[in-house]
Amino acid sequence: MQREYQRVHQHVKVYEVFARKARPEPLRQIGSVVAPDADLAAAYARATYDEERWVEMKIVPKEAITTLWAPGEEVAE
Amino acid sequence: MASANPAFDRLMKKGELIETVGEMTPEYLKELKHTLLVSGDTELISAPAYYLAAQRAPSINAFMTGIAIIQDELAHAHIAYHILEELGEDQEKLIFSRDPKSFRYPYAFDVPLETWTELIVANAMYDQAGFCLLGDIHEQCSYGPWKRGLNKVMLEENFHLRNGRTWCKRMSQAGGESREELQSAVDWMFPLTIEWFGLPDSMKMHSTQLDYRLKGKTNDQLRQWWMSLVVPYMEEIGVAVPAHMEVADGQETWVLDYPFPCTFDPEAKRWDFRDPCTWDDVMLRWRARGPRNAEMIQLFQEEFHNFRKSHAGA
Ligand SMILES: [Fe+2]
Ligand SMILES: [Fe+2]
Repeated sequence: MQREYQRVHQHVKVYEVFARKARPEPLRQIGSVVAPDADLAAAYARATYDEERWVEMKIVPKEAITTLWAPGEEVAE
Repeated sequence: MASANPAFDRLMKKGELIETVGEMTPEYLKELKHTLLVSGDTELISAPAYYLAAQRAPSINAFMTGIAIIQDELAHAHIAYHILEELGEDQEKLIFSRDPKSFRYPYAFDVPLETWTELIVANAMYDQAGFCLLGDIHEQCSYGPWKRGLNKVMLEENFHLRNGRTWCKRMSQAGGESREELQSAVDWMFPLTIEWFGLPDSMKMHSTQLDYRLKGKTNDQLRQWWMSLVVPYMEEIGVAVPAHMEVADGQETWVLDYPFPCTFDPEAKRWDFRDPCTWDDVMLRWRARGPRNAEMIQLFQEEFHNFRKSHAGA
C-alpha cells in the first residue's frame, strides 16, 4: 500500500536505504528517506545515515519492491 | 489484559515484536504514537537549542563537532517522525504547523543554552538522559521498526555524551574561570535533568508504556541509572553535584541532597533548595513552557513557511 506524503515538493516517494559495513556482510535495510527524486533521496540518505563508514550504500524506491509475504503472513509450518 | 485482537495478545505474551498496524490494538497504536512524538520532539528541539550555543564554540574544530551533533539530532528526529508518518500522521503538519506550546519535549530545552560550557554540560547530562531513555526503549521496545531505527541513534548519543565528558574534564582541569563556569552550569543543569525523568514512581501509579513494552524501566529506575553514570564521573573530575550514594540492604541507591521537587527561576537559572514545591507546581511551570520555547519553534517554522511561499506552484 502506497501512502501519500505531504512535502513542499508535490510528488515525493519513499526510498529504502540499504548499506553494509564490511565486505563479508550482506546488504541490510538501515532506514528510509522521503524525496521527490533519486538524486535528492541519495543526498538525504548520505546525510541522515552517516553513523558508519559504509563500504556500500544503495537506495531503492519502495514502490519497486514486491512483497511476497509480510510479518504475520508467514507460511505455516 | 485481553484485547479484541488475538494476534496482538499472542505477540505481546510471547515477547515478540509488533511489525504492522494490523497487529496492533487501537490503544497500543495511540500509546506508541505518543511515545514517538515525545521522542521526535525532543530530538528536533535539541537542534535549535544546541545551535545557539554552538556559535560560541572556542575553535573551528569545536564548532564542527557541535554542528555534527546537531545534524545527528535532526536525523534522530527524522527517524521518529517518519515512523509516525508510516503510522498515518502528517510529518509536515507535526513539525511546521503545530502550536509551540504543544510540542512534547522536556522543559530543560526551554532554558537557553548560552555558552559553549552550557552546551558541553548539556552533552554530558541531557544526552546522557537521552541515552538512558532511548537505551531502555532500544532494549525493550515491542515495535520492531523503532527498535531497529534506534541502533543508529544509540551509537550517536554515545558519541555526544563522550564529547560532553571530554570537555567537562578539560575545563575542570584548566581550573580558574573555566572551572567556575563549568560548576555554575552544572549547578542549574543537574537538577533540571533530574526532573526530566518525570513524576516519582510513588505518584505515578501505573504506566501503559510499561504494559505495552514501549519502555522497560520506571521513571525512578531511569533517574537512578542516570545518576549512577553522571554522579561518579562528575566527582572523579572534581565537579560537585547535589547527590550521593547510600547502601541499604546491600542495594546502592542514589540520593539527592536537596528537596525534590523544588523551585526554579528560569530567567536567573537558579534553584532554591530552601524552597520545596509540589509536583503540581512543577507541572504548571512545564505547561507554561520556558523562555525559549516559542523562539526555537519559530526558528524552523518561519523558515519553512517562507520556503514554501517562494516555491508555490513550482
Ligand atoms: Fe538524539
Ligand atoms: Fe544527542
